[in-house]
Amino acid sequence: MAQITTVLSKFYNEYKTRTPKRLKAIDAYLFYILLTGITQFIYCLLVGTFPFNSFLSGFISSVSCFVLAVCLRLQVNPENKTQFNGISPERGFADFIFAHIVLHLVVMNFIG
Amino acid sequence: MKLIILSLFSIFATTFAQGPTLVLLDNQVIKETHSIFFKSLQDRGYTLTFKIADDASLVLSRYGEYLYKNLIIFAPTVEEFGGNLNVEIITQFVDEGGNVLVAGSSVTGDVLRELASECGFEVDDEGAFVIDHLNYDITDEGQHTKLVVSSENLIDAPVIVGPKKGIAPMLYQGTGILTDVENPLVLPLLTADSTAYSFNPDQPIKEYPHAVGRDTVLIAGLQARNNARVVFSGSLAFFSDEFFTAATQKAQGGESSMKSGNEDVAITISQWVFKEHGQLRVRSVKHHKEGEKEAPKDYTIMDDVVYTIEIDILEKGQWKPFTAKDIQLEFVRIDPFVRTTLKRNPSGQYEAKFKIPDVYGVYQFKVDYDRVGYTRLFSTTQVSVRPLQHTQYERFITSAYPYYTGAFSMMLGVFVFSFVFLHLKDDDKKSKSE
Repeated sequence: MAQITTVLSKFYNEYKTRTPKRLKAIDAYLFYILLTGITQFIYCLLVGTFPFNSFLSGFISSVSCFVLAVCLRLQVNPENKTQFNGISPERGFADFIFAHIVLHLVVMNFIG
Repeated sequence: MKLIILSLFSIFATTFAQGPTLVLLDNQVIKETHSIFFKSLQDRGYTLTFKIADDASLVLSRYGEYLYKNLIIFAPTVEEFGGNLNVEIITQFVDEGGNVLVAGSSVTGDVLRELASECGFEVDDEGAFVIDHLNYDITDEGQHTKLVVSSENLIDAPVIVGPKKGIAPMLYQGTGILTDVENPLVLPLLTADSTAYSFNPDQPIKEYPHAVGRDTVLIAGLQARNNARVVFSGSLAFFSDEFFTAATQKAQGGESSMKSGNEDVAITISQWVFKEHGQLRVRSVKHHKEGEKEAPKDYTIMDDVVYTIEIDILEKGQWKPFTAKDIQLEFVRIDPFVRTTLKRNPSGQYEAKFKIPDVYGVYQFKVDYDRVGYTRLFSTTQVSVRPLQHTQYERFITSAYPYYTGAFSMMLGVFVFSFVFLHLKDDDKKSKSE
């Protein structure tokens, strides 16, 4: 038990000190998306699937946002520079915004 | 003058209303011995052409057009027809909508047997009579072949044989017919009693008779798929003046009546076989959405639809609205999705209202009315049912607001996150440069 707490506290400290600020921002954003998605899912379990298309678009919008944000995080992370050679963080962010525009157009179309 | 012409026309109209009929006889005597039956046909407007069955000038069609609409064969013993008439031609005549009334007897010839088997009947062997030792007439000559048949043995279809009740017992003398039970088009119009059997009365019974009890059909009918009708009677005497006018008295002190029921039944059967009875047609079919008047180009799922059909029956040469309570409508997409009974409204139309199911596709309104004695009524109307258009879906459903909020908060999230992200990046650069 004590070991786990030490691991966790070490992890927390490492995260606090060594992770760049913008990755932290992305993590906060991811956490927010996760909460929204879970809330919608639980609501659907409670109320039923009646406006199914609304549920799908709401829920899938959360899931896609999460996926896109994770992709952005991978591209922006300085430790992955070797893998994303030639893709600057700005380029990554532009892709991220473009994907979001498409996503939200589809979601609004489908939500009813 | 005009009046005379008009009245002449009307006379012609009634005369030719029922169409020309060819009557084939064994000999000219039959014309006299069956005069009541023929006279009733002539009174109803049939033009009868009497010919001897082996007359060399027999023709049924000329230049591809049939000369007759109906054919009566009262020639049981004929072995081969004259002219160019044969079983194939008669079968073709039936296939093309002609009606045939055939009477056999205990000496039915081969050509009639062949014709019978083409129609799904089988005539018992030569010399065989239907014998019933319990239900024979007192005038019988000792072989118990002159049967008294109760009207209870008629088929349960008023359109073919008239109302069963009140018909006096009928006289019958002739051979028995076997029908194919599997054949749904064959109708046993009159069957023998359960104590009857079909055998040669002059021979000792050494083998099991071909037809026993109620399976012995006396008069068999067939309505082909094209609604042509064929009636085969095992007894020519059934239609004779002698049997029409005879009094019946069951032997061994059974019931008696002053006049046999033969005339009534024979005439009703002849009316059926020549399609005076039980001929149905569809006059019109309409369908539209509830509250509208015209049929739409296509329906949308869950629409309320109104279907109206007008059905006519031929009565005394005129089409009149048909009344029945058991006409059903099916709304079919491979399987019926809706099956409902049509209701008759006061104006004589049949109407059904229903909601189109929540499944889109190509459907048919189908009315398939197939009842014993009536011609088959079959009407299909194809319509397409499409899903809701994009603008027809329900909007702003209360229970969907959390999802709306979720989706919009995602958009807002991206917006806010972009600012934060860009801002932080600047911060980073600054810190790097520092």
